[in-house]
Amino acid sequence: MTTSQRLRILVATALTLAAAVLVAACGGDSGNGGGEVQVAQGGKPSGEVTISNWPGYIDPGKDGTAAEFEKTYGVDTTYIEDVTGNTQFFGKLQPQLERGDSGGRSLFVVTNWLAKQMYDLGYLEQIDHADLKTVFQNINPQFVDDETDPGRKFSIPWQGGLTGIWVNTSEAPEIRSLKDLFDPKYKGRITVLDEMRDTVPLIMQMQGADPQNFTTEDWEKAIDFLKQQADSGQIRRFTDNSYTEDLTSGNAIASIGWSGDASLIGRDDVEWRKPTDGCDTFFDQMVIPVGAPNTAAALAFMNFVYRPEVQADIAAYVNYVTPVDGVKEILAKKDPELANDPLIFPPPSFTRGCSEDPNPPGDAEEQQKITEQFQDVVTG
Amino acid sequence: MTIRRRLIPYWLLAPGALWLLLFFVIPMGFMAQQALESGSLLTGGFTFTWEWSNFPDSLSGNSEQIVRSFYYAGAATILALLISYPLAYAIAQQSSRWRLLLLFAVIAPFFTTYLIRTIAWKTILADQSPVIDVLQYVHLLPDDGRVLATSGAVIAGLTYNFLPFMILPIYASIERLDLRLIEAARDLYASSTQAFLRVTLPMTAPGIVAGVLLTFIPAFGDYVNATILGGTHQNMIGNKIQSLFLVERDYPEAAALSFLMMALILAVVVVYIRLAGTEAFMGEEEKRA
Repeated sequence: MTTSQRLRILVATALTLAAAVLVAACGGDSGNGGGEVQVAQGGKPSGEVTISNWPGYIDPGKDGTAAEFEKTYGVDTTYIEDVTGNTQFFGKLQPQLERGDSGGRSLFVVTNWLAKQMYDLGYLEQIDHADLKTVFQNINPQFVDDETDPGRKFSIPWQGGLTGIWVNTSEAPEIRSLKDLFDPKYKGRITVLDEMRDTVPLIMQMQGADPQNFTTEDWEKAIDFLKQQADSGQIRRFTDNSYTEDLTSGNAIASIGWSGDASLIGRDDVEWRKPTDGCDTFFDQMVIPVGAPNTAAALAFMNFVYRPEVQADIAAYVNYVTPVDGVKEILAKKDPELANDPLIFPPPSFTRGCSEDPNPPGDAEEQQKITEQFQDVVTG
Repeated sequence: MTIRRRLIPYWLLAPGALWLLLFFVIPMGFMAQQALESGSLLTGGFTFTWEWSNFPDSLSGNSEQIVRSFYYAGAATILALLISYPLAYAIAQQSSRWRLLLLFAVIAPFFTTYLIRTIAWKTILADQSPVIDVLQYVHLLPDDGRVLATSGAVIAGLTYNFLPFMILPIYASIERLDLRLIEAARDLYASSTQAFLRVTLPMTAPGIVAGVLLTFIPAFGDYVNATILGGTHQNMIGNKIQSLFLVERDYPEAAALSFLMMALILAVVVVYIRLAGTEAFMGEEEKRA
């Protein structure tokens, strides 16, 4: 290389860097929140609507609930199942929400702790109860108020359930507790969720912590335990909703997972069990993001799924806990077995003492520290 | 007239330069800015504060994943080279009709997306699949052994997914090889090994160098294979960056780590090209120019 060539490369590099810095400077810093909170606009639904939900949370088929909504309201509905984990979904969407852009979605479903986090960041629109008559007519009174959203300002319950263990009963019928999962004879054949607020509370309870009052030490001790189990090869994988695939194919004989995912696993010999040494409940919420197009259709969708007969179809398909009154009576006529299923209609005694997808204690900074510790184990 | 003529090369460069500016320089600028921010999403957002400590912070605690990425990408590159060279050589020896067909067979899997093909391997290699049964039967795997969720699965996935990037450049250089040179070497009493080592290999080096770079660089940053085929302790640096961006939402550290990885790869590539020689990389044309 001659000197002039070298010089030219040097100049080009300098120019490139200067351009990069200039562009960055023009970009301004990333502020926080979408500004003032908007109220979702109601009205007569029409046009197109896009709804994001978790896999297996509705019958998406030709005669399913999403199609029925389309027919009833004449709204061109795109129903996508792209929420496979709270954190990942939010991580993907956050930069867009920051700009007040919902990525074309009018409504999506996330777990209540995340709904609150998003609302606090200014990423969700408020909802006017006057637009949601059917919802508030039929909602089960125990769901009217929620710790994360008192007065239902921004979220409407979708479905809830329990986090527990899925067990392959032909290979490991004896697994009944979380402790059993970590029996060395199942080495490499169990999976746990990569959702911190599901997995860690269960482990903490297994270790004897009080589910109503987890301390930072409890969280750290449980994360340490998970690290040991990952290091020893006991835990095969940390998974999102895809743990169902490992159970279907037989790669895993037991997994920490959600109570209503039977339709995704599709095997009769894999059953959900509430662990004898801990349980966790969660409730997913419908929310309307900032910048959502066609909020009228989103509100109509909320009302629609709160019709008891529609909700009965959803409950029968997904087998999660329903927040709508009158569903049990409808199901009792159609399918008495479902109406008596404690996973769809849990008696209070069934979920008593369970943790509820808790945040780690402390302020945002302390929570971030716990999150990092957990992620270090997940991506170890 | 002469000025216009002088400008022509620059006009020809313009589309490429514009592309690089829009999709490389500008995003890099944003990332550079992000890498120097501090704060967190939930406590008032991020602010630009020349936070240089993001760089050392992003390295500490992730060295395991970095070393693992080198190991996986390196192993995949070597495997791909060992598979590709004989294959490319064999394809180049065929009649032109067969050549076309075989090359098509190399590229054909690309008609299906990368993700679907990787997920397909998950089905093929599932613990209770016939493939695993056979491997256990012939004692290539212990009776309770598995392939999925092991380092081997991730390396195999990387090798499989990047194989065509190795085959095609090597094929291109072998195809151009003048067979008379080998004949000449044999006439001058070179054994076939000597002829290979002193004629064929040096003549096809540009293909090998290009193939190695095209395989190693994307394999190093890959996170799909580790996510789908790996288990615990098979995460690569790409998985870590993904977690920082999407789960921990620590954008500054994620951006800083991305920069450092780019610099690291750049350094490795420069050293590699130096060792391999610029002629090997650019081909003979460089020397003539």
